[in-house]
Amino acid sequence: MKANRNHTEKLFSVVRRFLTAGAGVTTIAGVVYMASCHTSAAGDTNAPVAAASIPKATDPKTTAKPDKKVEAQPKRELSGAELYAIHCNRCHAERYPAEFTDGQWKTLMTHMRVRANLPAKQARLILDYLQDESGHY
Amino acid sequence: MKIRSVIWGIVAAGCTLTIAFSPPASAAVSDEDFNALKKLVTEQGQKIDQLEKTNALDQQQIQQLQQQLGQTQTVATNAAQKVETLSQIQPTYPLPNPTAGATHNFMVVGDAEVQFGKTAGQHSGFALADFAPIFLFRANDNVLFEAGFDTTLQNAGGPPGTGGGANTSFSMSFGQLDYLLNDYVTVIAGDMLLPLGTYNERGAGWLNKIPDAPLLDDQLIPGSGIGAQLRGAVPVGEGGQSLTYAVYGANGPGSVDGTGNALQASGAPNLDLGGNVGILGDGTQQNLHSNPSGGGRIGWFYPWKLHHDIELGISGQSGEWDDAGNHLWSAAVLDAAVHLGPYVEIKGEYANTWYGTDDSGTIHPHGVWVQAGYKLAGLNLNLPLVNDVELVGRYDNLNDGLGTKTDRYTGGFVYYLNNTLWFEGDYEYLSSHGPAGLPPNDFILQLSYGF
Repeated sequence: MKANRNHTEKLFSVVRRFLTAGAGVTTIAGVVYMASCHTSAAGDTNAPVAAASIPKATDPKTTAKPDKKVEAQPKRELSGAELYAIHCNRCHAERYPAEFTDGQWKTLMTHMRVRANLPAKQARLILDYLQDESGHY
Repeated sequence: MKIRSVIWGIVAAGCTLTIAFSPPASAAVSDEDFNALKKLVTEQGQKIDQLEKTNALDQQQIQQLQQQLGQTQTVATNAAQKVETLSQIQPTYPLPNPTAGATHNFMVVGDAEVQFGKTAGQHSGFALADFAPIFLFRANDNVLFEAGFDTTLQNAGGPPGTGGGANTSFSMSFGQLDYLLNDYVTVIAGDMLLPLGTYNERGAGWLNKIPDAPLLDDQLIPGSGIGAQLRGAVPVGEGGQSLTYAVYGANGPGSVDGTGNALQASGAPNLDLGGNVGILGDGTQQNLHSNPSGGGRIGWFYPWKLHHDIELGISGQSGEWDDAGNHLWSAAVLDAAVHLGPYVEIKGEYANTWYGTDDSGTIHPHGVWVQAGYKLAGLNLNLPLVNDVELVGRYDNLNDGLGTKTDRYTGGFVYYLNNTLWFEGDYEYLSSHGPAGLPPNDFILQLSYGF
Protein backbone atom coordinates (compact mmCIF):
# COMPACT_ATOMS: atom_id res chain seq x y z
CA MET A 1 0.00 0.00 0.00
CA LYS A 2 2.77 2.34 1.02
CA ALA A 3 4.71 1.34 -2.08
CA ASN A 4 1.69 2.15 -4.25
CA ARG A 5 1.34 5.53 -2.57
CA ASN A 6 5.01 6.26 -3.18
CA HIS A 7 4.64 5.27 -6.79
CA THR A 8 1.61 7.53 -7.21
CA GLU A 9 3.37 10.41 -5.51
CA LYS A 10 6.35 9.92 -7.82
CA LEU A 11 4.07 9.90 -10.84
CA PHE A 12 2.40 13.12 -9.72
CA SER A 13 5.82 14.60 -9.12
CA VAL A 14 6.84 13.81 -12.66
CA VAL A 15 3.65 15.23 -14.12
CA ARG A 16 4.00 18.33 -11.96
CA ARG A 17 7.53 18.90 -13.23
CA PHE A 18 6.37 18.55 -16.83
CA LEU A 19 3.59 21.05 -16.29
CA THR A 20 5.89 23.44 -14.48
CA ALA A 21 8.44 23.30 -17.26
CA GLY A 22 5.75 23.78 -19.90
CA ALA A 23 4.22 26.71 -18.05
CA GLY A 24 7.65 28.28 -17.63
CA VAL A 25 8.47 28.06 -21.32
CA THR A 26 5.04 29.40 -22.27
CA THR A 27 5.33 32.34 -19.87
CA ILE A 28 8.78 33.29 -21.12
CA ALA A 29 7.59 32.97 -24.70
CA GLY A 30 4.63 35.23 -24.01
CA VAL A 31 6.70 37.92 -22.31
CA VAL A 32 9.35 37.97 -25.02
CA TYR A 33 6.72 37.99 -27.73
CA MET A 34 4.96 41.00 -26.27
CA ALA A 35 8.26 42.77 -25.79
CA SER A 36 9.35 42.10 -29.33
CA CYS A 37 6.10 42.85 -31.15
CA HIS A 38 6.89 46.47 -31.96
CA THR A 39 10.37 45.69 -33.25
CA SER A 40 9.61 42.53 -35.18
CA ALA A 41 6.67 44.00 -37.05
CA ALA A 42 8.77 46.90 -38.29
CA GLY A 43 11.93 45.01 -38.96
CA ASP A 44 10.59 41.80 -40.41
CA THR A 45 11.76 42.48 -43.92
CA ASN A 46 11.93 38.79 -44.59
CA ALA A 47 8.21 38.35 -44.23
CA PRO A 48 6.51 40.57 -46.78
CA VAL A 49 3.65 38.15 -47.30
CA ALA A 50 2.96 37.85 -43.62
CA ALA A 51 3.23 41.58 -42.99
CA ALA A 52 0.92 42.37 -45.85
CA SER A 53 -1.69 39.97 -44.55
CA ILE A 54 -2.10 41.80 -41.25
CA PRO A 55 -4.99 44.26 -41.45
CA LYS A 56 -4.45 47.54 -39.60
CA ALA A 57 -7.05 48.25 -36.91
CA THR A 58 -7.19 51.94 -37.82
CA ASP A 59 -7.67 51.32 -41.49
CA PRO A 60 -11.25 52.44 -42.26
CA LYS A 61 -11.42 50.08 -45.20
CA THR A 62 -11.00 47.09 -42.94
CA THR A 63 -12.82 48.32 -39.85
CA ALA A 64 -15.87 49.92 -41.42
CA LYS A 65 -16.76 47.26 -43.96
CA PRO A 66 -15.15 43.90 -43.61
CA ASP A 67 -14.65 42.37 -47.01
CA LYS A 68 -16.16 38.92 -46.81
CA LYS A 69 -14.56 37.90 -50.08
CA VAL A 70 -11.11 38.59 -48.68
CA GLU A 71 -11.91 36.78 -45.44
CA ALA A 72 -13.19 33.77 -47.31
CA GLN A 73 -10.02 33.34 -49.38
CA PRO A 74 -8.71 29.80 -49.00
CA LYS A 75 -5.19 29.37 -47.68
CA ARG A 76 -2.83 29.07 -50.60
CA GLU A 77 -0.09 26.49 -50.74
CA LEU A 78 3.25 27.78 -49.45
CA SER A 79 5.97 28.14 -52.04
CA GLY A 80 9.35 26.46 -51.84
CA ALA A 81 10.96 29.78 -50.93
CA GLU A 82 8.55 30.29 -48.04
CA LEU A 83 9.02 26.75 -46.76
CA TYR A 84 12.77 27.23 -47.03
CA ALA A 85 12.52 30.36 -44.88
CA ILE A 86 10.25 28.61 -42.39
CA HIS A 87 12.17 25.37 -41.91
CA CYS A 88 15.87 26.10 -42.40
CA ASN A 89 15.96 28.99 -39.95
CA ARG A 90 14.66 26.79 -37.18
CA CYS A 91 18.13 25.36 -36.59
CA HIS A 92 20.71 27.26 -38.59
CA ALA A 93 21.39 30.30 -40.72
CA GLU A 94 20.13 30.01 -44.28
CA ARG A 95 22.57 28.78 -46.88
CA TYR A 96 22.62 30.58 -50.20
CA PRO A 97 21.22 28.49 -53.08
CA ALA A 98 24.32 29.18 -55.18
CA GLU A 99 26.58 27.55 -52.58
CA PHE A 100 25.81 24.08 -53.90
CA THR A 101 25.04 22.40 -57.20
CA ASP A 102 21.81 20.71 -58.24
CA GLY A 103 23.03 17.28 -57.23
CA GLN A 104 24.50 18.49 -53.97
CA TRP A 105 21.23 20.13 -53.03
CA LYS A 106 19.45 16.85 -53.71
CA THR A 107 21.80 15.02 -51.36
CA LEU A 108 21.55 17.74 -48.74
CA MET A 109 17.77 17.86 -48.86
CA THR A 110 17.58 14.10 -48.47
CA HIS A 111 19.76 14.49 -45.39
CA MET A 112 17.68 17.36 -44.03
CA ARG A 113 14.38 15.64 -44.77
CA VAL A 114 15.50 12.81 -42.47
CA ARG A 115 17.27 14.92 -39.86
CA ALA A 116 14.61 17.59 -39.45
CA ASN A 117 11.77 15.18 -40.19
CA LEU A 118 10.35 17.37 -42.96
CA PRO A 119 7.22 16.30 -44.84
CA ALA A 120 8.26 14.84 -48.19
CA LYS A 121 6.22 17.23 -50.32
CA GLN A 122 7.59 20.26 -48.51
CA ALA A 123 11.12 18.94 -48.87
CA ARG A 124 10.58 18.56 -52.61
CA LEU A 125 9.27 22.13 -52.93
CA ILE A 126 12.30 23.44 -51.05
CA LEU A 127 14.60 21.38 -53.27
CA ASP A 128 12.94 22.76 -56.41
CA TYR A 129 13.41 26.28 -55.12
CA LEU A 130 17.07 25.75 -54.24
CA GLN A 131 17.83 24.08 -57.57
CA ASP A 132 16.08 26.84 -59.50
CA GLU A 133 17.94 29.52 -57.61
CA SER A 134 21.26 27.73 -57.90
CA GLY A 135 21.06 28.07 -61.67
CA HIS A 136 20.86 24.31 -62.30
CA TYR A 137 24.58 23.90 -62.67
CA MET B 1 -17.20 102.38 -134.45
CA LYS B 2 -17.26 99.15 -136.43
CA ILE B 3 -14.14 100.12 -138.33
CA ARG B 4 -12.33 100.82 -135.09
CA SER B 5 -13.14 97.37 -133.75
CA VAL B 6 -11.88 95.71 -136.93
CA ILE B 7 -8.65 97.65 -136.70
CA TRP B 8 -8.09 96.60 -133.07
CA GLY B 9 -8.83 93.03 -133.97
CA ILE B 10 -6.27 93.05 -136.80
CA VAL B 11 -3.69 94.55 -134.46
CA ALA B 12 -4.31 91.92 -131.80
CA ALA B 13 -4.10 89.08 -134.31
CA GLY B 14 -0.85 90.49 -135.64
CA CYS B 15 0.66 90.60 -132.19
CA THR B 16 -0.41 87.05 -131.47
CA LEU B 17 1.07 85.69 -134.67
CA THR B 18 4.28 87.62 -134.09
CA ILE B 19 4.70 86.05 -130.65
CA ALA B 20 3.74 82.57 -131.78
CA PHE B 21 5.96 82.33 -134.79
CA SER B 22 8.97 84.29 -133.64
CA PRO B 23 12.14 81.98 -134.00
CA PRO B 24 14.15 81.07 -130.75
CA ALA B 25 17.32 82.96 -130.28
CA SER B 26 19.57 79.84 -129.47
CA ALA B 27 17.90 77.03 -131.43
CA ALA B 28 21.03 76.33 -133.48
CA VAL B 29 23.44 73.42 -132.24
CA SER B 30 27.02 73.43 -133.25
CA ASP B 31 28.89 70.29 -134.46
CA GLU B 32 31.17 70.49 -131.51
CA ASP B 33 28.28 70.29 -129.03
CA PHE B 34 26.67 67.51 -131.00
CA ASN B 35 29.85 65.41 -130.98
CA ALA B 36 30.36 65.93 -127.23
CA LEU B 37 26.81 64.84 -126.59
CA LYS B 38 27.25 61.84 -128.84
CA LYS B 39 30.39 60.84 -126.99
CA LEU B 40 28.61 61.17 -123.66
CA VAL B 41 25.77 58.95 -124.81
CA THR B 42 28.26 56.36 -126.06
CA GLU B 43 30.06 56.28 -122.70
CA GLN B 44 26.77 55.88 -120.84
CA GLY B 45 25.93 52.99 -123.08
CA GLN B 46 29.21 51.30 -122.29
CA LYS B 47 28.66 51.74 -118.57
CA ILE B 48 25.23 50.21 -118.85
CA ASP B 49 26.73 47.24 -120.66
CA GLN B 50 29.27 46.76 -117.84
CA LEU B 51 26.59 46.98 -115.19
CA GLU B 52 24.50 44.40 -117.02
CA LYS B 53 27.50 42.07 -117.13
CA THR B 54 28.15 42.62 -113.40
CA ASN B 55 24.52 41.98 -112.63
CA ALA B 56 24.68 38.71 -114.54
CA LEU B 57 27.69 37.61 -112.48
CA ASP B 58 25.88 38.55 -109.25
CA GLN B 59 22.90 36.52 -110.31
CA GLN B 60 25.15 33.53 -110.87
CA GLN B 61 26.69 33.90 -107.40
CA ILE B 62 23.26 34.22 -105.80
CA GLN B 63 22.16 31.05 -107.52
CA GLN B 64 25.27 29.24 -106.28
CA LEU B 65 24.66 30.44 -102.72
CA GLN B 66 21.05 29.37 -102.90
CA GLN B 67 22.15 25.93 -104.01
CA GLN B 68 24.62 25.71 -101.10
CA LEU B 69 21.93 26.86 -98.65
CA GLY B 70 19.63 24.18 -99.92
CA GLN B 71 22.33 21.55 -99.44
CA THR B 72 22.97 22.79 -95.86
CA GLN B 73 19.28 22.66 -95.04
CA THR B 74 19.12 19.13 -96.35
CA VAL B 75 22.07 18.10 -94.17
CA ALA B 76 20.51 19.73 -91.10
CA THR B 77 17.18 18.07 -91.74
CA ASN B 78 18.85 14.70 -92.12
CA ALA B 79 20.79 15.24 -88.87
CA ALA B 80 17.62 16.14 -86.98
CA GLN B 81 15.91 13.05 -88.35
CA LYS B 82 18.85 10.93 -87.26
CA VAL B 83 18.79 12.40 -83.73
CA GLU B 84 15.07 11.79 -83.49
CA THR B 85 15.53 8.25 -84.69
CA LEU B 86 18.36 7.64 -82.21
CA SER B 87 16.35 9.04 -79.32
CA GLN B 88 13.61 6.50 -80.06
CA ILE B 89 16.01 3.60 -79.93
CA GLN B 90 16.21 1.99 -76.44
CA PRO B 91 19.81 1.39 -75.36
CA THR B 92 20.67 -2.18 -74.49
CA TYR B 93 22.26 -0.98 -71.23
CA PRO B 94 21.57 2.12 -69.09
CA LEU B 95 23.47 5.13 -70.28
CA PRO B 96 25.61 6.77 -67.62
CA ASN B 97 23.85 9.72 -66.04
CA PRO B 98 26.26 12.65 -65.80
CA THR B 99 24.51 13.86 -62.62
CA ALA B 100 24.62 10.50 -60.86
CA GLY B 101 28.32 9.88 -60.51
CA ALA B 102 29.84 8.91 -57.20
CA THR B 103 31.60 12.24 -56.82
CA HIS B 104 28.36 14.06 -57.55
CA ASN B 105 26.37 12.21 -54.89
CA PHE B 106 29.06 12.27 -52.24
CA MET B 107 29.29 15.27 -49.98
CA VAL B 108 31.09 16.36 -46.87
CA VAL B 109 29.32 18.79 -44.60
CA GLY B 110 29.79 19.43 -40.91
CA ASP B 111 31.47 21.93 -38.67
CA ALA B 112 34.73 22.88 -37.01
CA GLU B 113 35.42 24.74 -33.80
CA VAL B 114 38.30 26.26 -31.91
CA GLN B 115 37.78 27.06 -28.25
CA PHE B 116 39.53 29.28 -25.76
CA GLY B 117 38.47 28.82 -22.17
CA LYS B 118 39.00 29.89 -18.59
CA THR B 119 37.55 27.76 -15.82
CA ALA B 120 37.58 28.85 -12.19
CA GLY B 121 40.71 27.58 -10.45
CA GLN B 122 42.46 26.75 -13.72
CA HIS B 123 44.70 28.59 -16.15
CA SER B 124 43.16 29.99 -19.30
CA GLY B 125 44.14 28.53 -22.62
CA PHE B 126 43.02 27.27 -25.98
CA ALA B 127 40.89 24.39 -24.86
CA LEU B 128 40.30 22.34 -27.96
CA ALA B 129 40.15 22.15 -31.72
CA ASP B 130 37.30 20.13 -33.13
CA PHE B 131 36.70 18.95 -36.68
CA ALA B 132 33.35 17.23 -37.13
CA PRO B 133 32.68 16.18 -40.72
CA ILE B 134 29.49 14.48 -41.82
CA PHE B 135 29.86 12.26 -44.86
CA LEU B 136 26.79 11.95 -47.04
CA PHE B 137 26.45 9.46 -49.84
CA ARG B 138 23.21 9.36 -51.80
CA ALA B 139 23.04 6.03 -53.57
CA ASN B 140 19.80 6.93 -55.34
CA ASP B 141 16.67 8.96 -54.77
CA ASN B 142 15.65 6.81 -51.80
CA VAL B 143 18.86 5.74 -50.11
CA LEU B 144 21.25 7.92 -48.15
CA PHE B 145 24.14 6.85 -45.99
CA GLU B 146 25.36 9.41 -43.51
CA ALA B 147 28.08 9.27 -40.90
CA GLY B 148 29.32 11.94 -38.54
CA PHE B 149 32.72 11.97 -36.90
CA ASP B 150 34.36 14.03 -34.21
CA THR B 151 38.08 14.64 -34.28
CA THR B 152 39.20 16.59 -31.26
CA LEU B 153 42.62 17.76 -30.19
CA GLN B 154 42.84 18.63 -26.53
CA ASN B 155 45.23 18.82 -23.64
CA ALA B 156 46.17 15.39 -22.32
CA GLY B 157 47.17 16.59 -18.90
CA GLY B 158 45.14 16.25 -15.75
CA PRO B 159 45.33 18.72 -12.89
CA PRO B 160 48.38 21.04 -12.87
CA GLY B 161 51.56 19.10 -12.33
CA THR B 162 50.20 15.77 -13.54
CA GLY B 163 51.47 15.88 -17.07
CA GLY B 164 50.98 17.60 -20.36
CA GLY B 165 51.00 17.06 -24.05
CA ALA B 166 47.97 16.59 -26.15
CA ASN B 167 45.85 13.79 -27.40
CA THR B 168 43.58 13.42 -30.36
CA SER B 169 40.29 11.67 -30.02
CA PHE B 170 38.42 10.32 -33.00
CA SER B 171 34.91 9.04 -32.61
CA MET B 172 31.90 8.31 -34.73
CA SER B 173 28.96 10.40 -33.58
CA PHE B 174 26.55 8.50 -35.76
CA GLY B 175 26.52 6.29 -38.83
CA GLN B 176 23.16 5.40 -40.32
CA LEU B 177 21.49 4.20 -43.46
CA ASP B 178 18.32 6.06 -44.42
CA TYR B 179 15.81 4.45 -46.74
CA LEU B 180 12.96 6.69 -47.84
CA LEU B 181 10.25 4.07 -48.07
CA ASN B 182 7.54 6.53 -49.13
CA ASP B 183 6.41 10.07 -48.39
CA TYR B 184 5.49 9.19 -44.83
CA VAL B 185 7.96 6.55 -43.68
CA THR B 186 11.75 6.56 -43.58
CA VAL B 187 13.55 3.48 -42.35
CA ILE B 188 16.82 4.08 -40.51
CA ALA B 189 19.33 1.54 -39.30
CA GLY B 190 22.73 1.89 -37.71
CA ASP B 191 24.20 4.06 -35.01
CA MET B 192 21.41 6.61 -34.87
CA LEU B 193 21.13 9.99 -33.26
CA LEU B 194 18.26 9.34 -30.87
CA PRO B 195 15.19 11.55 -31.07
CA LEU B 196 15.05 12.11 -27.33
CA GLY B 197 14.22 15.78 -27.34
CA THR B 198 15.68 17.73 -30.24
CA TYR B 199 19.15 18.73 -29.05
CA ASN B 200 20.64 15.33 -29.90
CA GLU B 201 19.86 15.82 -33.57
CA ARG B 202 20.27 19.59 -33.81
CA GLY B 203 23.08 20.32 -31.39
CA ALA B 204 26.18 20.33 -33.56
CA GLY B 205 28.75 23.00 -32.71
CA TRP B 206 27.68 25.12 -35.64
CA LEU B 207 23.99 24.90 -34.69
CA ASN B 208 24.23 25.51 -30.97
CA LYS B 209 24.45 29.19 -30.11
CA ILE B 210 26.28 28.50 -26.87
CA PRO B 211 29.70 26.78 -27.04
CA ASP B 212 28.86 23.93 -24.71
CA ALA B 213 25.88 21.61 -24.49
CA PRO B 214 23.15 21.74 -21.87
CA LEU B 215 24.00 19.65 -18.82
CA LEU B 216 21.20 17.17 -19.31
CA ASP B 217 22.18 16.38 -22.89
CA ASP B 218 25.70 15.63 -21.80
CA GLN B 219 24.84 13.50 -18.82
CA LEU B 220 21.19 12.54 -18.62
CA ILE B 221 20.10 11.05 -21.93
CA PRO B 222 22.04 9.09 -24.55
CA GLY B 223 23.00 10.91 -27.73
CA SER B 224 23.01 7.91 -30.04
CA GLY B 225 22.26 4.23 -30.02
CA ILE B 226 22.61 1.25 -32.31
CA GLY B 227 19.32 0.01 -33.65
CA ALA B 228 16.59 0.68 -36.17
CA GLN B 229 14.06 3.45 -36.49
CA LEU B 230 10.97 4.44 -38.41
CA ARG B 231 10.26 8.13 -38.76
CA GLY B 232 8.28 10.50 -40.87
CA ALA B 233 6.10 13.55 -41.06
CA VAL B 234 2.53 14.15 -42.05
CA PRO B 235 1.67 17.61 -43.37
CA VAL B 236 -1.43 19.22 -41.92
CA GLY B 237 -3.04 21.63 -44.36
CA GLU B 238 -1.07 23.77 -46.79
CA GLY B 239 0.36 26.25 -44.30
CA GLY B 240 3.50 24.32 -43.39
CA GLN B 241 2.05 22.67 -40.30
CA SER B 242 3.06 19.07 -39.68
CA LEU B 243 2.94 16.20 -37.26
CA THR B 244 6.12 14.19 -36.90
CA TYR B 245 6.85 10.82 -35.40
CA ALA B 246 9.79 8.54 -34.70
CA VAL B 247 9.82 5.07 -33.16
CA TYR B 248 12.93 3.05 -32.61
CA GLY B 249 14.52 0.09 -30.97
CA ALA B 250 18.11 0.34 -29.76
CA ASN B 251 20.46 -1.59 -27.52
CA GLY B 252 19.97 1.06 -24.87
CA PRO B 253 22.11 1.84 -21.85
CA GLY B 254 24.38 -0.68 -20.21
CA SER B 255 26.19 -1.24 -16.97
CA VAL B 256 29.91 -0.50 -16.76
CA ASP B 257 30.67 -3.40 -14.46
CA GLY B 258 27.70 -5.49 -15.47
CA THR B 259 25.98 -5.33 -12.10
CA GLY B 260 22.84 -3.47 -11.17
CA ASN B 261 24.60 -1.39 -8.53
CA ALA B 262 24.33 2.38 -8.64
CA LEU B 263 28.08 2.94 -8.34
CA GLN B 264 31.17 1.11 -9.48
CA ALA B 265 33.83 0.08 -6.98
CA SER B 266 35.66 3.31 -7.84
CA GLY B 267 32.65 5.35 -6.80
CA ALA B 268 31.84 6.45 -10.35
CA PRO B 269 28.30 5.96 -11.67
CA ASN B 270 27.65 2.52 -13.08
CA LEU B 271 25.06 3.52 -15.65
CA ASP B 272 26.58 3.75 -19.15
CA LEU B 273 24.23 5.62 -21.42
CA GLY B 274 26.07 5.12 -24.70
CA GLY B 275 28.41 2.18 -24.26
CA ASN B 276 26.13 -0.68 -25.17
CA VAL B 277 27.16 -1.02 -28.79
CA GLY B 278 26.71 -4.76 -28.99
CA ILE B 279 30.31 -5.83 -29.53
CA LEU B 280 32.07 -7.31 -26.54
CA GLY B 281 35.79 -7.17 -25.80
CA ASP B 282 36.26 -10.82 -26.77
CA GLY B 283 34.87 -10.17 -30.24
CA THR B 284 31.48 -11.74 -29.73
CA GLN B 285 28.54 -9.71 -30.79
CA GLN B 286 25.58 -9.51 -28.53
CA ASN B 287 23.56 -7.14 -26.50
CA LEU B 288 24.91 -6.69 -22.99
CA HIS B 289 21.47 -7.58 -21.70
CA SER B 290 18.75 -9.68 -23.20
CA ASN B 291 16.29 -7.08 -24.45
CA PRO B 292 16.74 -3.84 -26.38
CA SER B 293 15.22 -0.54 -25.40
CA GLY B 294 12.30 1.02 -27.19
CA GLY B 295 11.57 4.68 -27.65
CA GLY B 296 10.06 7.37 -29.78
CA ARG B 297 9.02 10.95 -30.21
CA ILE B 298 5.87 12.70 -31.37
CA GLY B 299 6.13 16.31 -32.44
CA TRP B 300 3.89 19.08 -33.69
CA PHE B 301 5.18 21.98 -35.76
CA TYR B 302 2.98 24.97 -36.42
CA PRO B 303 4.12 28.08 -38.33
CA TRP B 304 1.44 30.73 -38.16
CA LYS B 305 3.37 33.08 -40.42
CA LEU B 306 6.88 33.39 -41.81
CA HIS B 307 9.49 33.21 -39.04
CA HIS B 308 6.78 32.72 -36.44
CA ASP B 309 6.40 29.13 -35.37
CA ILE B 310 6.16 26.77 -32.45
CA GLU B 311 7.33 23.19 -32.13
CA LEU B 312 6.35 20.91 -29.28
CA GLY B 313 7.52 17.37 -28.76
CA ILE B 314 7.33 14.60 -26.26
CA SER B 315 9.68 11.66 -26.35
CA GLY B 316 10.74 8.75 -24.24
CA GLN B 317 12.74 5.57 -24.02
CA SER B 318 12.69 2.55 -21.75
CA GLY B 319 14.68 -0.68 -21.51
CA GLU B 320 16.92 -2.86 -19.41
CA TRP B 321 20.28 -1.47 -18.41
CA ASP B 322 21.99 -4.09 -16.19
CA ASP B 323 23.39 -7.33 -17.62
CA ALA B 324 20.93 -9.49 -15.70
CA GLY B 325 18.03 -7.52 -17.11
CA ASN B 326 16.51 -6.96 -13.68
CA HIS B 327 16.18 -3.20 -13.89
CA LEU B 328 14.79 -0.72 -16.35
CA TRP B 329 16.20 2.62 -17.33
CA SER B 330 13.51 5.00 -18.54
CA ALA B 331 13.42 8.58 -19.76
CA ALA B 332 10.71 11.07 -20.63
CA VAL B 333 11.63 14.28 -22.42
CA LEU B 334 9.52 17.32 -23.21
CA ASP B 335 10.88 19.77 -25.77
CA ALA B 336 9.64 23.11 -27.07
CA ALA B 337 10.92 25.73 -29.49
CA VAL B 338 9.35 29.06 -30.42
CA HIS B 339 10.35 31.63 -33.05
CA LEU B 340 8.74 35.05 -32.73
CA GLY B 341 9.92 36.81 -35.84
CA PRO B 342 13.34 36.48 -37.40
CA TYR B 343 15.06 37.83 -34.29
CA VAL B 344 13.63 35.96 -31.31
CA GLU B 345 14.13 32.30 -30.50
CA ILE B 346 13.27 30.42 -27.33
CA LYS B 347 13.74 26.73 -26.83
CA GLY B 348 14.23 24.24 -24.10
CA GLU B 349 13.95 20.68 -22.88
CA TYR B 350 12.90 18.99 -19.70
CA ALA B 351 14.13 15.45 -19.08
CA ASN B 352 13.09 13.11 -16.35
CA THR B 353 14.80 9.72 -16.04
CA TRP B 354 14.65 6.91 -13.53
CA TYR B 355 16.28 3.52 -13.19
CA GLY B 356 16.24 0.73 -10.65
CA THR B 357 19.35 -0.55 -8.92
CA ASP B 358 20.30 -3.52 -6.80
CA ASP B 359 21.61 -1.48 -3.91
CA SER B 360 20.09 2.00 -3.98
CA GLY B 361 16.49 1.56 -5.03
CA THR B 362 15.18 3.76 -7.84
CA ILE B 363 17.47 6.59 -8.82
CA HIS B 364 15.82 9.62 -10.33
CA PRO B 365 18.09 11.95 -12.37
CA HIS B 366 16.35 14.90 -13.99
CA GLY B 367 17.15 18.26 -15.49
CA VAL B 368 15.92 21.15 -17.59
CA TRP B 369 17.29 23.84 -19.86
CA VAL B 370 15.75 26.94 -21.36
CA GLN B 371 17.62 29.08 -23.89
CA ALA B 372 16.65 32.38 -25.47
CA GLY B 373 18.31 34.37 -28.22
CA TYR B 374 17.66 37.84 -29.59
CA LYS B 375 19.27 39.19 -32.77
CA LEU B 376 20.06 42.87 -32.35
CA ALA B 377 19.17 43.48 -36.00
CA GLY B 378 15.62 43.59 -34.67
CA LEU B 379 16.38 46.95 -33.05
CA ASN B 380 16.78 48.53 -36.51
CA LEU B 381 19.80 50.52 -35.38
CA ASN B 382 21.39 50.26 -38.81
CA LEU B 383 24.80 49.66 -37.27
CA PRO B 384 26.65 46.87 -39.12
CA LEU B 385 28.55 45.54 -36.12
CA VAL B 386 25.50 45.58 -33.86
CA ASN B 387 23.23 44.12 -36.50
CA ASP B 388 25.40 41.01 -36.72
CA VAL B 389 25.20 40.22 -33.01
CA GLU B 390 22.78 37.87 -31.28
CA LEU B 391 22.54 37.86 -27.51
CA VAL B 392 21.87 34.50 -25.91
CA GLY B 393 21.05 33.35 -22.42
CA ARG B 394 20.47 29.95 -20.93
CA TYR B 395 19.44 28.45 -17.64
CA ASP B 396 19.94 24.78 -17.04
CA ASN B 397 20.07 22.48 -14.09
CA LEU B 398 20.85 18.87 -13.41
CA ASN B 399 20.19 16.54 -10.54
CA ASP B 400 22.10 13.33 -11.18
CA GLY B 401 20.16 11.40 -8.57
CA LEU B 402 23.39 10.46 -6.86
CA GLY B 403 23.76 13.54 -4.69
CA THR B 404 25.02 16.19 -7.07
CA LYS B 405 22.85 19.15 -7.98
CA THR B 406 23.92 21.88 -10.39
CA ASP B 407 22.29 25.12 -11.45
CA ARG B 408 23.98 27.00 -14.28
CA TYR B 409 23.28 30.50 -15.58
CA THR B 410 24.82 31.38 -18.93
CA GLY B 411 24.98 34.68 -20.77
CA GLY B 412 26.70 35.14 -24.09
CA PHE B 413 26.73 36.38 -27.64
CA VAL B 414 27.10 35.20 -31.19
CA TYR B 415 28.77 37.46 -33.74
CA TYR B 416 27.90 36.36 -37.25
CA LEU B 417 30.90 36.98 -39.48
CA ASN B 418 28.79 35.49 -42.25
CA ASN B 419 26.11 32.84 -42.53
CA THR B 420 28.53 30.01 -41.74
CA LEU B 421 31.29 31.55 -39.62
CA TRP B 422 30.43 32.58 -36.07
CA PHE B 423 32.36 33.98 -33.16
CA GLU B 424 30.74 33.02 -29.88
CA GLY B 425 31.44 33.77 -26.27
CA ASP B 426 29.75 33.10 -22.97
CA TYR B 427 30.17 33.38 -19.24
CA GLU B 428 28.70 30.66 -17.06
CA TYR B 429 27.95 30.93 -13.38
CA LEU B 430 27.39 27.61 -11.65
CA SER B 431 26.02 26.62 -8.28
CA SER B 432 27.03 23.01 -8.00
CA HIS B 433 27.03 20.83 -4.89
CA GLY B 434 27.75 17.16 -4.36
CA PRO B 435 30.38 14.53 -5.07
CA ALA B 436 30.49 15.41 -8.79
CA GLY B 437 30.26 19.17 -8.30
CA LEU B 438 31.46 21.49 -11.06
CA PRO B 439 33.68 24.62 -10.81
CA PRO B 440 31.80 27.84 -9.93
CA ASN B 441 32.32 29.63 -13.21
CA ASP B 442 33.52 29.23 -16.73
CA PHE B 443 34.35 31.56 -19.61
CA ILE B 444 34.45 30.28 -23.17
CA LEU B 445 35.24 31.86 -26.53
CA GLN B 446 34.66 29.84 -29.67
CA LEU B 447 35.06 30.22 -33.40
CA SER B 448 32.61 27.98 -35.25
CA TYR B 449 32.44 27.21 -38.91
CA GLY B 450 29.70 25.24 -40.60
CA PHE B 451 30.34 23.77 -44.01
